[in-house]
Amino acid sequence: MANDVGLDARLKRIEEIVAALDSDTLDLDEALALFEEGVAHLGQAREMLARTELRVEELIGPEGDAVGEMRVGDDEGTGGRDDG
Amino acid sequence: MTDRTLDLFTEAPPAQRVADSPSEANAPPAPRVWTVRQINRASRLLLEESLPRLWVGGEVTNFRRQRSGHCYFTLKDEAAQLRCVMFRRDAARLPADPDEGMTLRVFGGLTLYEARGVFQLIVSKLETESEGGMWKLAFDRLRARLDTEGLTDPGRKRPLPAFPGTVGIVTSPTSAALRDIVAVIARRAPWLRVVVRGTRVQGVGAGEEIAAAVSMLARVPGVDVVVVARGGGSIEDLWGFNEEAVARAVALSPVPVVSGVGHETDVTICDLVADLRAATPSAAAETVAPDRQWVAKRLDAMGQRLGRGLARQVRSRRWWLDQLGDSLFRRGRRRVQASRDRLDAARLQMAAAVRARIRRDGGRLSEAAAALDALSPLSTLARGYAVPLDRDGKLLRRTGDFPRGRDFRLRVLDGYVPCAATGRPVEAAANAAKQTTGDDRGK
Repeated sequence: MANDVGLDARLKRIEEIVAALDSDTLDLDEALALFEEGVAHLGQAREMLARTELRVEELIGPEGDAVGEMRVGDDEGTGGRDDG
Repeated sequence: MTDRTLDLFTEAPPAQRVADSPSEANAPPAPRVWTVRQINRASRLLLEESLPRLWVGGEVTNFRRQRSGHCYFTLKDEAAQLRCVMFRRDAARLPADPDEGMTLRVFGGLTLYEARGVFQLIVSKLETESEGGMWKLAFDRLRARLDTEGLTDPGRKRPLPAFPGTVGIVTSPTSAALRDIVAVIARRAPWLRVVVRGTRVQGVGAGEEIAAAVSMLARVPGVDVVVVARGGGSIEDLWGFNEEAVARAVALSPVPVVSGVGHETDVTICDLVADLRAATPSAAAETVAPDRQWVAKRLDAMGQRLGRGLARQVRSRRWWLDQLGDSLFRRGRRRVQASRDRLDAARLQMAAAVRARIRRDGGRLSEAAAALDALSPLSTLARGYAVPLDRDGKLLRRTGDFPRGRDFRLRVLDGYVPCAATGRPVEAAANAAKQTTGDDRGK
């Protein structure tokens, strides 16, 4: 699976693999291949978890069709435009 | 009063004036005639100047909201009626139209509509005497309608994704609410992608903007859940979140919506229709951002289950091999009694079969064991990897580096092992094919 696969999809896949490994119908080659796939998903998921910087985007334009990077800092003072 | 009244007519001199000249003094004075316009203007100014803006209480009848946005109605009691108008600017802030016969108090200024000569009150505020006022009335009405349609039904609530990838946020882009939400997600789950659609969150038209933003975000590819949020405020401030457009947009959203509007005690229509109501914007953020520690624990547990799963597969193969071996021997013994000659052949056969089987599956077992070790958090060498080196310490990587009889050393976790290449190396990729043809040739 590609790197942009979400955590949810990875965990679901690992669940499937664990369930398959608990069954008696696998042959050993299949079991090994599944196990390796599961380990790869775990590794990618751990890498994802290690990320530290939150990415915030903003939908802009009247229809919200464009996306821009958004900075949400503490430097804007307290109490926003209409203090939401 | 007379002087004051005359002051009002500076721009409109009487049609006829009493002459100043003494010679005409005896003539009968002509009546002073005003135009309709003049008299209405005078009356209007009188009314407007002599009475301050004030509250008037009464029962409402014939409330009509024109397409223009202006509202017209009559306020009455047992003895009298008063025409009232509420212009669009003020009427737009009215959360609901009053029911016929409802007791109201309205604030405004008395005036006269000159074009028609109609006496009326221009209303800027309209309230009911009942608790919660027009806001509660509008809220209760909309809620009743949504309840009937089933939009607030607990059975409609969808579970939130446990591990979302992208979170959409609808709130004011400069608000403390947004900063709170972003701070919570950054602390708990910084791997998430956050997409914000900024809107106004109060004032006329805020409801439509919020509704449009929910629809937009839900359409953004990858968005798994949408948070609608606003900090605390008066019921009037929060009103946008009580508008029907917001309720519809939230109900129609293809992904779950979390509402975090106001403080603990504020409940809005948006809260009721949303899949989850959080007490505050920060609390809403916590519901969509899984905690990093928790996810890490979850991953560890998954790793253990994977390892156990594979170990189970390997164990079941070992058991099966043992069974196979036993049964081959048993069968062999029975045949011995039938034919001693065949016994030797059978014994040889079965021994060979078991050896072949063990050779074949034994290799798999060690691979499985090695894969299991890969899960262990030890260093590379401790994982069971060994590095072959020649006498000079140079790395040996390929089959070509191992001519038959070559001496080399294996670097393992705690030292070196002297080794020698005892056979001709076989390349890994061509392994299977070569083995088959090799066996044929050997016969």
